[in-house]
Amino acid sequence: MHILGVYNIKGGVGKTATAVNLAYLAARQGYRTLVWDLDPQGAATFYFRIKAKVKGGSKGLLNGKHDLDDLVKGTDFDNLDLLPADFSYRNMDLRLEDAKKPTKQLLKLLRPLSQAYDYVFLDCPPSISLVSENIFRAADGLLLPLIPTTLSLRTYEQLLDFLEGHRIQGLELMPFFSMVDRRKRMHLDVMKSLPDSRQELLQVQIPYASDVEKMGIYRMPVGEFAAHSPAWKAYLALWSEVQARLGVS
Amino acid sequence: MTMPNPIDYLLPEHWGLVELQEALATNSRFGEVETGRLDLTYLDSFDWRLWSSGGELVFEQHKAGNRLCWIDHRSGDLLDTLVLDKLPEFPADLPSGGLQEQIAKPLAMRVLLPMVRIEQQTSSVRVLNEDDKTVLRLVLIEGPFAAPDRKLKGNLERRVRLTPVKGYDEAFTRMQSDLQELGLEQLTQSLFEEALTGIGRRPGDYSSKLNYRLDPERRSDKTAKHILSSLLETMELNLAGTQANLDSEFLHDLRVATRRSRSAIGQIKGVFDPEELDRFKQGLAWIGQITGPTRDLDVYLLQFDEYRRSLPAKVRPDLEPFHGFLVSHHAQAQKKLARKLASPQFRKLIKEYRQWLEKPAPEVSKQPNAMRPIAELADSRIRKVFKRVRKEGAAIYEDSPAEALHELRKDCKKLRYLIEFFQSLYPKPEIRELIKQLKILLDNLGEFQDLQVQAEALEDFGEQMLKEGAPARTLMAMGILVGQLLTRQVQAREEFFNLFNQFSSEQNVQAFNQLFGTK
Repeated sequence: MHILGVYNIKGGVGKTATAVNLAYLAARQGYRTLVWDLDPQGAATFYFRIKAKVKGGSKGLLNGKHDLDDLVKGTDFDNLDLLPADFSYRNMDLRLEDAKKPTKQLLKLLRPLSQAYDYVFLDCPPSISLVSENIFRAADGLLLPLIPTTLSLRTYEQLLDFLEGHRIQGLELMPFFSMVDRRKRMHLDVMKSLPDSRQELLQVQIPYASDVEKMGIYRMPVGEFAAHSPAWKAYLALWSEVQARLGVS
Repeated sequence: MTMPNPIDYLLPEHWGLVELQEALATNSRFGEVETGRLDLTYLDSFDWRLWSSGGELVFEQHKAGNRLCWIDHRSGDLLDTLVLDKLPEFPADLPSGGLQEQIAKPLAMRVLLPMVRIEQQTSSVRVLNEDDKTVLRLVLIEGPFAAPDRKLKGNLERRVRLTPVKGYDEAFTRMQSDLQELGLEQLTQSLFEEALTGIGRRPGDYSSKLNYRLDPERRSDKTAKHILSSLLETMELNLAGTQANLDSEFLHDLRVATRRSRSAIGQIKGVFDPEELDRFKQGLAWIGQITGPTRDLDVYLLQFDEYRRSLPAKVRPDLEPFHGFLVSHHAQAQKKLARKLASPQFRKLIKEYRQWLEKPAPEVSKQPNAMRPIAELADSRIRKVFKRVRKEGAAIYEDSPAEALHELRKDCKKLRYLIEFFQSLYPKPEIRELIKQLKILLDNLGEFQDLQVQAEALEDFGEQMLKEGAPARTLMAMGILVGQLLTRQVQAREEFFNLFNQFSSEQNVQAFNQLFGTK
């Protein structure tokens, strides 16, 4: 089972769109796939037309009252399941603090699912917190959508410092440019300046596109309603690159 | 909570999804109909090892990607899946982990063969909730199926599959009762079973195990021919796989059936004209001979990993040239074998043997045992061989020559075959227990002999390899193996006395007497 976190300290960078579209692609290939919507805003849950409610909330989850598997909902697509968001996730940090080994709780919860799923995508809330640290420790790959701005790159540096400071190793970092607007001078400049120094940067870029925004209207992955759009082609290419990075041919 | 399994219903004639939706319209809201195609290839070993272990292995080919699914055939639970490009042949072709581990053990050395193929065509309609979220699917399944050689084909009955979506059990239960109310008949046969039946097969229709249901009153000559005919059928069924060397088990089953036939002819005494029988006795012995060299090499190849593991890690790579030697000699032996099995001599032998077996027994036979009821003859033959085994075994001491143990093994095998041929004439639990006891003893005797044969063969191979210019280190590694084999042989011999005493214990003798009489 591969666990992939989709993460950025900042919000509004195309995180949820990445998780939903890539998970959809994995499922379409026949992989049993789960998206865990850890963001209390519940955007991924909304895209899949599922109610943002988890029986027992984050409390029930962390104290082991409810098995993760019992809370999972099937989506409209074969092989693709969702663990919905819940508003109580906003307090998850507090709950984690009370637990034993507070940084390894998510991993513990996910372990029993390893037989049932080939891929788990964690759609993470923005910010650096105990929740994100849990994600870093549970995941074997971290997808990091970056908007090509200087500020966005700074947050990436912050993350690297954090990982180093907390001795988090063995996590495959996969930053990539997201919401790229080729009309913007700054985007082009930033992208030009970065790749040489950052070996881990993925080649594929996700363009800024209204088709991605329309996911909120159609409540579906882009491939379901705009299969020939440049945005969808970019997600297809991104998924191939991610699989290659994970060593899955 | 686990998700309920899909339920299949027979779709009434002249009904399509449209009619079904109309009939269900009061309670459900539907999405659009989507069509799709999925090619299914069901896989198992020739002798159904996966089915016997409780599973169904199917390779699904879809335009978006292919995968292998491992299904519990009793509950229908999907136990594991593996995304995969092409049909696997051996479990070793699969990445290690979940699914591979689950099928590798039951399959052992056997190759995966396609049993039946289905070109599944689906039309699927979603049932939606108030958010237009899919809460279940109704899938109409139809399409043609065919045997792997495409000679036998047919069409599936049209079925509609109620497919749950995880976490929406209520909708599923509701639809289940709606479909019941419509009077739809639930199907218990899986697609696999339906397609198999359609090509005239059933799971487990081949097994190398002996399982005859005999009539105790039937004439002995007729019963013997019945047993021999079944064994000939097993031999013939394994011919193609042996010639093509699909896996080593085809040849093994062919040889076992040949050996059992020889044993049946030799042990069910006085039922056939000895003159008539003689050429088939010789013919079967000849089959044993021509199949021997390839089987021997199969054994070493099958054991090779164990040989390698038994060596100290440092020496293991030295053994590689030996593997190369085995592979190349096996290829030669296999070629020769395939030629012999395709020869006019072989075909003539089998043809005449079959003709002889099919020839009805004479109304009145001159042979002393031919017309006796088989139950009587079985009793007396088993008694006699059992007595001989006890006598031979009791005469074995610490310093008896290895030949004495080999002779005992041969007679034990005869006894085992006799009991197995005739097991249906006796109460099941008791006969099973005796076979088990006998098997324990035979395993020990078999090990004793096999280890010696292996040690000698390794020495012979070593000499041949020396002539072929093998590196000295390889020969040294083989020398270590020979040493290990001989040490284990000594152990096997030490264990023999204990095992034989158990076998000829008073309790066991009484069990024999009770089943087969004391006369």
